[in-house]
Amino acid sequence: MTKFSVNDRPVEYRMDPETPLLWALRDASNLTGTKYGCGTGECGACTVDIDGEAIRSCMVTIAECEGRFVTTIEGLTRDRSHPVQQAWVADQVPQCGFCQSGMIMAAAALLRKNSNPSDAEIDAAMTNICRCGTYPRIRGAIRRAGRVLRGEERIAAAPPPGIRPADAARAVPALKAPHER
Amino acid sequence: MTGIRDKVGQSGTRLPHVSRRQILIGATATGGLALAWTFWPRAYAPNLTAARGEHIFNAFLKIGEDGHIAMVVPQCEMGQGVTTLLPQIMADELGADWRTIAVETAPINPLYTNTLVVDEDSAVFTPRRLVPDFVSDVRGWARREWAVRHAVMLTANSSSVRMFEGPCRDAAAQVRALLMMAAARRWDADWEQCDTEGGFVTLGQKKLRFGDVAAAAALLEPPAEPVYRAASADPLYGKELTRLDLPSKVDGSANYAGDIRLPDMVFAAIRQGPLGATRLKSIDRKAGMASPGLLHIVEHERWFAAVARNWWAANRALDHFAPLFETAGTPISSGRIDKALAAALKADGYRIVKKGDVAEAMEGRTKVAAHYAVAPALHAPIETRTATAAPDGGRLRVWVATQAPAQCRDAVAQATGLAPSDVTLFPVMAGGSFDACLDHSAAVQAAIIALQIKRPVQLAWSRAEEIMRDIPRAPARARMIATLDAAGGIDALVARIAVPPTNHEVRARLFDNTPADVAQRDAAGTPDAVAIEGLARVYDIRHFAVDHCPADIGLPTARWRGNADSYTAFFTECFIDEMAARAGSDALSYRMAMLGKSPLLAHCLLTATSLAGWEGGISGTAQGLACHSMRGSHIALVATARPSERGLQVEQLVAVVDAGRLVNPAIARQQVEGGLIFGLAAAVGATTDYEGGIATARKLGQLGLPHLAQIPELLIEFIDSDREPGGIGEIGVPAVAPAIANAMFAATGHRIRRLPLSAQPI
Repeated sequence: MTKFSVNDRPVEYRMDPETPLLWALRDASNLTGTKYGCGTGECGACTVDIDGEAIRSCMVTIAECEGRFVTTIEGLTRDRSHPVQQAWVADQVPQCGFCQSGMIMAAAALLRKNSNPSDAEIDAAMTNICRCGTYPRIRGAIRRAGRVLRGEERIAAAPPPGIRPADAARAVPALKAPHER
Repeated sequence: MTGIRDKVGQSGTRLPHVSRRQILIGATATGGLALAWTFWPRAYAPNLTAARGEHIFNAFLKIGEDGHIAMVVPQCEMGQGVTTLLPQIMADELGADWRTIAVETAPINPLYTNTLVVDEDSAVFTPRRLVPDFVSDVRGWARREWAVRHAVMLTANSSSVRMFEGPCRDAAAQVRALLMMAAARRWDADWEQCDTEGGFVTLGQKKLRFGDVAAAAALLEPPAEPVYRAASADPLYGKELTRLDLPSKVDGSANYAGDIRLPDMVFAAIRQGPLGATRLKSIDRKAGMASPGLLHIVEHERWFAAVARNWWAANRALDHFAPLFETAGTPISSGRIDKALAAALKADGYRIVKKGDVAEAMEGRTKVAAHYAVAPALHAPIETRTATAAPDGGRLRVWVATQAPAQCRDAVAQATGLAPSDVTLFPVMAGGSFDACLDHSAAVQAAIIALQIKRPVQLAWSRAEEIMRDIPRAPARARMIATLDAAGGIDALVARIAVPPTNHEVRARLFDNTPADVAQRDAAGTPDAVAIEGLARVYDIRHFAVDHCPADIGLPTARWRGNADSYTAFFTECFIDEMAARAGSDALSYRMAMLGKSPLLAHCLLTATSLAGWEGGISGTAQGLACHSMRGSHIALVATARPSERGLQVEQLVAVVDAGRLVNPAIARQQVEGGLIFGLAAAVGATTDYEGGIATARKLGQLGLPHLAQIPELLIEFIDSDREPGGIGEIGVPAVAPAIANAMFAATGHRIRRLPLSAQPI
C-alpha cells in the first residue's frame, strides 16, 4: 500500500496510509528540505516531483503514492548542479529560503517539459507563495535556467557541497591543506 | 587582555558625556539605583568556543590554523542577509579572502547588545523603575547599561548594519593588528609597516598566511585604539558578493527549527484557543486517546498539545480531542476593534509631537479633514512558529529562531523553573519572521512539553494556529485635519491617531513574560510615542501636531516589518495627495514645496518621477506618488495601478532609495524588492477579521497574499552615497499602499482611505 520510490530508492512507509506524503518525507525519512507551510496546498513550500509533475506533497497521501517515483529537493541533484539551482544562486533569488525548495521543484518540473516557457506559462506554473518577496527574480532565474538547459549559457554560481580541504587549499592561497600543518 | 576588545559591542562612541557629578546626582536621588549600578559588571569576556586549531581573538572573530576565518553574527538571519553583510564588513577590514569565511551565530553575551535599537525605541526599552526621569543623559546611559546587562541582542528596526558595522569593523581591525604584530615578530620588522591582503599579512615581498600567525597573534596585546586598514584598491565592502547562505538554500540543507532531528525525538501539535484571557476548559479524552500514533498529551492551563511519531498524527489527534477553551471578558471582534478605535479618536489624546501653534493657526479658519482606517496586519511567514526542545540531565536545549535570544532563554527558564544558565539556546535561521520571532511562545511551549514527556520534542504550529494566534501589527485610524494657506499649501496640520500602545505591550511580553492579554490590558490608555512614529516626519509644516489616542481594542498587538511607519505613511501620503488635488497642484511640486528640510528625500522624489515618466498625477494617468523616510533611509515611489476585471491591478512600481553607503548593493536591492512586495501584500491583504475572539481566516489562501502573477514590474534605483548606512529592511514597505491608493485616485477619481485598499466607506 505504501511502497514507492523516493529519490531513486525503494521505500515502504510503515505509517498510516492516510499520512500525507509531506510528513512521511519529513518525519520518517528526515528529508527536511521539503517544508510545511500551510497543509492545504496553497503555499507550495512542500512541492515535490512525482513522476515528473510538481505536486504539493501535503495534498497526497502515501497510499496514493504507491508505485510512483517521488523526487525531493535532496534528490534533484546531489551537488546543486541542476540549472535551476545554479540560476537561483546566480540571480540571488532566496532570502529567508523557507519557500525556496518548493519554488525550485516547481521550476524544475516546468522546465523539464518546456525549456523555454513564456511569462504566462511561468506564472501559471509558479503558484507558490513567498513572503520575503523573491518573486521579481523568479521569472528571470527560470529563463536563465532554460538557457542553460538549451545549451546557450553556462553558469557555475553555487559550489558543490563537501569540497575536500586539500582541493580548497589548491584553489585558495589563504588556505592550507591539512598535510601542510 | 584589555584594549578595544572589551569595548566591542558596547558602542562606546554613542555614550553621552556623563560627568561623575551627574551620575552622583542621579544616583543619590534614586537610592537603590546607586547600589544597582555598583554591582553591574563593567567588562564582559567573549564566551565563544574554539574548534581544534581555531584561535579566539574577540567576540566576533576566530581564525583557524588552516586559514579559515569564523565570523560571529549576533543577529537573527531571517532573510535580510545579515549573515553575509556583517562578515563582508569584517572581511573587508581584515583583508581576508572571501572564500575563507565561515559564519557562526553568536552565543548570548552582553557584548552583542543592540544599543542602537534601545536608543531608537527608548519608550520600549526604558525600564520604568530603574531609571530617573530628570537627567536625560543619565537616563539614556542607564537604559543602555540595562540593555547590556540583559544582553538585549535584538534583531529589529533595520538596525543590523547600522548597529554592528562599527563594532565589527573595530573587531576586525584589532585582529588585523594582532596578525601583523605576529608576522612582524617573525620578520623582525615594524608591524605598522605591514599590510594585509587576500588572507595574508604582507611586508614588501614577504607574505604570511593568517592561519600561520593566528596562534601567535592570539596571545599578543592589541593596540589600545583600532588601527584601520587603508582603503583597498579592490574593497570587499560595496561589492555584490553572493550571499553565503544561498548554496544551502537551494539544496534543502539549510536548517530551520523544524529541521532539527535528534535521537528519540517526537513531534507535537498544539491548540491554544481564542486570543484573550483564555483557559483550557475540557478535552474529549475518550475520543482523543484512541487516536492512531498518539504517544503523549500535555494539558496546560492555556493550551493543549498532542505528541506523536509524526506531526500529522499529532495534529490529527488534536481534532479528536476537540479541546474546548473559555475566554473571560468580551471576546475580540472586528466590530469591537472598530468601535474602540472610533471612540479613542473622539476622546482626548496625548500630544506627542508639537511644532508652532496649531490651535492659534487653525482658529477661525476653514479646516479640511479626512479619516483613514487600517486593518490589523498579520506576519504570516511561510514557516509557522516552530521550536525543538530536548531535556539534557537537569538542563534543557532549545532550537528556535528568535530576534531576542536572551529574552527567549529567560522566558523558557521562567516557564520551566530552570535557571537561565541551565537553558542552552541554539539560534537557527527564521523562515521569514517580519518580527514574528520576537514572540517566544513556541519555544516556551516546546520546553514545557519536552520536560513533561522527558524526551526531545519538536513543536510546530499548524497554519490555522499561526493565523489565529499571531499577534498582529495594530489596526489604526487617523483623523487628519489641516488649514491651508492662500496658495492651497498646508499651513497647519493636526494628526490624531487612534492605535493601541503596542510598544508597552511588547516590552511587557518581551522582558516580563507577561501574557499577551494581560499586557494588553495593562498598557491600555497609556501614551506610546513609537506608535505614531513617522507621521509627516519629512515635511516642513509651520504648525504641526501629532496626537496619540490610545485605543483599548482588546486585541494584543505586536511589532511588524515597518512598524508604525507602515500606517503613518499611509495617512500622511494619502492626505498630502488629497490636499495637492484640492489645491489643483501637481502631487510632485506640492510635496517638493514642503521638503526643504529633507533634501535627500527630495532628490529621491525628483529621480523617481523622472525615471517613471511622471505625468503630473492628473486624472486618467493611473500614476500615484508617495515618499517616506525612516531609519536613516529615504524612498520615493511611483505606482501605476488601475482597476481591472480581476480587481486592483498594480502594473509598475518605480522606487528610488537613498540608504546611504551600501555594504552589498545586491542584498540592498533584494531587501527593497522584498519590502515593496511586503507592502504590496499589506495593501491588498495580509489581514483577517475577528469574531468571537478568533480570527475568521484559517487558511493561508484566505489572506489574499500576492502570487507571482500579481507582481508588478519593479524598477529600483539607489542613490550613490557615502553617507552612513541607513536601514534597508523596512524602507520598502511604508510607501507602497499610499502610492497605489493615490494611483487609483488618478485612475478612477475615487479616494481609497482604507487598508487593505478598499472603496468601502469608513
